[in-house]
Amino acid sequence: MGDVQVHALRGVDLSIKTGEFVAVIGPSGSGKSTFMHILGCLDRPSAGHYILDGQDVSTLSRDELAIVRNQRIGFVFQGFNLLSRTSALDNVELPLLYQNGVRTAERHTRATQMLETVGLGDRMNHHPNQLSGGQQQRVAIARSLINRPAIVLADEPTGNLDSRTSIEIMDIFQRLNHDNGITVILITHEPEIAEYASRIIRFKDGRVVTDRLNDAQRVAEYELESTPKHSDLSDQDPMDFSRPIADHK
Amino acid sequence: MHFFIILRVALKALLRNKMRTSLTMLGMIIGVTAVIAMVALGTGAQLQIEEQVQAAGTNLISVRAGNFRRGGVSMGLGGAPTLKASDVDAIRAQVPGAVYLAASVNTRDQVIAGGQNWSAQIEGTDIEYPMIRLWDLEYGAFFTQAHVRSAAKVAVLGTIVRDNLFGEGVDPVGQRVRIRNQSFEIIGVMESKGSGQFGQDQDDIILAPYTTVQKKLRGRNGTNISGISISAVSPDRMEEISAQITDVLREQHGLIPGDDDDFMVRTQEDIASMLTGMTETMTGLLAAIAGVSLLVGGIGIMNIMLVSVTERTREIGLRMAVGAKGRDVLFQFLVEAVVLSLAGGLVGVAFGFVISQVLTQFLQWPTAVPVDAVGVAVAFAAATGIFFGFYPARKAAQLDPIESLRFE
Repeated sequence: MGDVQVHALRGVDLSIKTGEFVAVIGPSGSGKSTFMHILGCLDRPSAGHYILDGQDVSTLSRDELAIVRNQRIGFVFQGFNLLSRTSALDNVELPLLYQNGVRTAERHTRATQMLETVGLGDRMNHHPNQLSGGQQQRVAIARSLINRPAIVLADEPTGNLDSRTSIEIMDIFQRLNHDNGITVILITHEPEIAEYASRIIRFKDGRVVTDRLNDAQRVAEYELESTPKHSDLSDQDPMDFSRPIADHK
Repeated sequence: MHFFIILRVALKALLRNKMRTSLTMLGMIIGVTAVIAMVALGTGAQLQIEEQVQAAGTNLISVRAGNFRRGGVSMGLGGAPTLKASDVDAIRAQVPGAVYLAASVNTRDQVIAGGQNWSAQIEGTDIEYPMIRLWDLEYGAFFTQAHVRSAAKVAVLGTIVRDNLFGEGVDPVGQRVRIRNQSFEIIGVMESKGSGQFGQDQDDIILAPYTTVQKKLRGRNGTNISGISISAVSPDRMEEISAQITDVLREQHGLIPGDDDDFMVRTQEDIASMLTGMTETMTGLLAAIAGVSLLVGGIGIMNIMLVSVTERTREIGLRMAVGAKGRDVLFQFLVEAVVLSLAGGLVGVAFGFVISQVLTQFLQWPTAVPVDAVGVAVAFAAATGIFFGFYPARKAAQLDPIESLRFE
């Protein structure tokens, strides 16, 4: 008995530019998760190279990858992955704990700012179990932005949310991308969610089958205007995007 | 990651589960409390012994008859009639370092005075006894050479005997007591001296000339004595003087080289070190038993940390995803374990202190909490945390972030 080597990805040759909003789509087993793990520096390719921001990160050690994740990548997960019994503020601050030289006061200021940008300025001391799914995902988005990342990787961010809330989340991503120039990479198996991106990459059996610009990009903001609000969300603050989220150039 | 931040994260994690945290700490608390209380008891006992040895005089040598075998049967100390009054004279003549000497013959009998009676240790001794024991009289005078020579029926009472027969603080000099149907005249009362090295009350005693006890009270082996008390000239020459005494007695008893001594020479220091040795062994044993509960506490910590690592797999995965290095995770869990054990240790020290105070207050057991024992217990608690926390922490640090994030 020996280990059988499975190549989850083969012959993938892609480049994603700063400021793009890319959706990666494909059925399960298509290799899109592996692709995301490599993009997110959670995993290393067994062969080939991944150049992030001009640096080849495919040969870095475990700890070096941790530093790259900490400073250049923001993660948003399907299951939110917030720390339970921990305030929204503390959750958002988490990545900064692993960055040296960030003082407590600065952590608080930045986390507060991020929560305000995603419209949760009045929920900062709430614990995840006191927040709705959409609100939890917004906390997670605030967390992904706090380290001013080069890319935000969202892995099925709407998988646990209803359709109205999904649109709200996509609205946040679109604004981050459009207004703040943040590179967003969205992994999803739902074609209709992928339609919010400006570029759609489709995986199948570990290969890229299509890679096209999305001419019919959906705009979440317009859709929200025509969709009735949930009663349980009516007490939410309107999102405040007046301030810049991250200093991206 | 700064240590302060690690500590804060660990404290938050522990406070999230207060019940579990306190129950886990309880193991350490019980262990350290037990160790501290045991050591406090042992140390207290040792200090008391040392005090008593100082009080008894460090230049005391005692010789006891016995250690005598007849046909392979050991007769035990004092069990064999091997010492005689002439041995005392021989030592006095040949060992100049032996300043004061007193033969001793002991018995226990009922003492009657008026309507009262009391069972007391009756020590037959010699006139130099007060100098040897550094013991003054409260009333009256000690007996004289004339009393000894004539085996006079005179007695000097210890305060306990006096209190029980005549009442507390009374001066009974001139009155009489009956022992074995014979009337003794009370000529003095010793000062109160308190309890001795073996816990016996030294004041529960009647002193009489050894000749009197030999002839009037024991009525057998008329010339034997059960021991000799000797006061040496200086505490620094104890060994030399003991050796000289041994030589003199061997010669007196006609022992040839190769024969066992048929007597035993003990300095006060020998007795003290024997006693402290005994309590040390006892303390060590008790502390070791208590230490086992520390071990159990440590295993409890390891168990909880393992559960905690499994439970928080997703948290660990998330922390790694947002930039925690293996080292950061390792330290976080290690610090949690050490905080658990150290806090338990400190609370245990406090409890141990309280318990030893309670023992002293309510049971009058002497206790002393040595500072170094507190240090050792706390350090040991911390070490337990590191030792038992390391494996779970390393397990956490080696988790794969992708697997952990998927963990349900």
